[in-house]
Amino acid sequence: MRAFLFDPYRLGFMSRARVEVVLLGTLGAVVGVHVALRRLAFVTDAVQHTVFPGIAIAYAVGWPLLPGAAAAAALTVGLLVMLTSGHRQFFRGAPPGPRVDFDSALAVIIASFFAVGVVVVSRRTGYAADLSTLLFGRILDVSRAEVVETAVIGGLCLVVLALLHKELVLLALDRTQAAAVGLPVRLLDAVLYAVTAATVVVAVRAIGTVLVVAFVVTPAATGRLLTKSIPGAMAAAAGVAAVLGWIGLSASYEASLNHDVRLAAGATVVIAYTLGFAAAGAARLLFRRA
Amino acid sequence: MSTVVDSFGQHFFRLALIEAVMVGAVAGAVGVHVLLRRLPFFVVAMSHATFPGVVFGSLLGVSLFAGGAVVGIAVALLVVALGSLRQIDDSSAIGIVLAGCFAVGVLVLSAQPGASRDLSAYLVGSIVTVNTADLVTTAIVGAVLLSVLAAFHKELVLGAFDPGGLTALGYPGRTLDTVVLVVVTVALVVCVPAVGTLLAVALLTVPALAARQWTDRVGPMTVLAAALGALSGVLGLCLSAAFDVAAGGTIALTATALFVVSAGVRTAAARS
Repeated sequence: MRAFLFDPYRLGFMSRARVEVVLLGTLGAVVGVHVALRRLAFVTDAVQHTVFPGIAIAYAVGWPLLPGAAAAAALTVGLLVMLTSGHRQFFRGAPPGPRVDFDSALAVIIASFFAVGVVVVSRRTGYAADLSTLLFGRILDVSRAEVVETAVIGGLCLVVLALLHKELVLLALDRTQAAAVGLPVRLLDAVLYAVTAATVVVAVRAIGTVLVVAFVVTPAATGRLLTKSIPGAMAAAAGVAAVLGWIGLSASYEASLNHDVRLAAGATVVIAYTLGFAAAGAARLLFRRA
Repeated sequence: MSTVVDSFGQHFFRLALIEAVMVGAVAGAVGVHVLLRRLPFFVVAMSHATFPGVVFGSLLGVSLFAGGAVVGIAVALLVVALGSLRQIDDSSAIGIVLAGCFAVGVLVLSAQPGASRDLSAYLVGSIVTVNTADLVTTAIVGAVLLSVLAAFHKELVLGAFDPGGLTALGYPGRTLDTVVLVVVTVALVVCVPAVGTLLAVALLTVPALAARQWTDRVGPMTVLAAALGALSGVLGLCLSAAFDVAAGGTIALTATALFVVSAGVRTAAARS
């Protein structure tokens, strides 16, 4: 057990990967509880696809990937706020202007951004290999500088969430009340979208554009199964994410090295999260019956 | 432009055009129900969740289409079951299932290297390699899907607008909901050879949304959505031949352009 949990991390790249996974897991868990309260899982999924063209273009031009991803994410948040402002009503009684509900707006944004990414990547040779790096990430390759970036951006996101905690929770639970007491509702929406987008952007490099949603959604849902209180759910989710991330990385290392089954590290961590959620769900069902 | 004209003479390009028209039309029509029931996130989720099915299909040597469809339908039922837990909202349930399934696909793939060529075709489509058998499959499956939608049209539309009313009238509401989810999943799998899983979302939502800008009525909206879907397929394919870029991405971008034009016309008309 000790060998399983500690030995792999004597290697520099494994140790960096562990720090990165624990950081991202904690950040994703806290952001994820807000995302779950607001039912924004789709926004997370949207951003993880829309950063793809930003990364692809930055990669094609030879720029660092993070600013490219951040620009695409910012554009997504801007478009989303613009397309859906005041047009939540889809059918009768819709105000003039494009008839687009929230989910459809996201679908259009995802489809068009992702298509741009595919078109850009398809102009390059070595298409398939590049594409799969972008889609599946490369957690075992993170550098020290990237870990520091993750820590700084993640820390900023957590500070913003802590400062606006009361306001964001009120907004999530009772939008009308929040507007009535004079909170800047749309600005708070934009802040939460931006924090979610920033989380996806820092996670995308390590995890790839498709699995990021697991970091935000799954531990948070597990935390909510374990406790009703919101700070409690955040703490539980962060703990679950950190522990399962560690175990997932170890399992991927163990299987690849000693059992000759090569398991992709990022995907193994996501499977560990999913199994954790399944266990919490099963426990909950059993206790409810009893 | 001459490259496009030349392409028409080639057999593979004609096959690709037929596939693009059929896929666009079927996806456009099914897309109307995706919008009515606000299922875009479900479609995105399915596009990822069918992934392990395709990986298994590719490893076992059975059709990718069958693998994707079987796993897709199983996952649709799992989402319905998870969504009935009280602590988990639908959108979280979809998120958990989609990421979990996709991770299974990636894992199996990482343990079995060598399949990645097939897979990137699966992810982003490869319409120029469709063969006659694919066309026949698309035609039959598409016809079945459209007949199901036509046969239950009234009930499905009522269920989308007023689920309580539908149940009160004695219809099996739950069963009809499941029928819609299965139809959407199968339509998604049909789109895969043309545009790939990740861009199938585009064909299943964007043409319907563009059609929505022109009419309030579900019937004309369905016809228009099918037409716009087919148009996106043809225009996108020609543009991709002209500029030598990925066909799936170009088809999705063409659909988006049609939506932007429709929304623009509608906004201008509403203002004047």
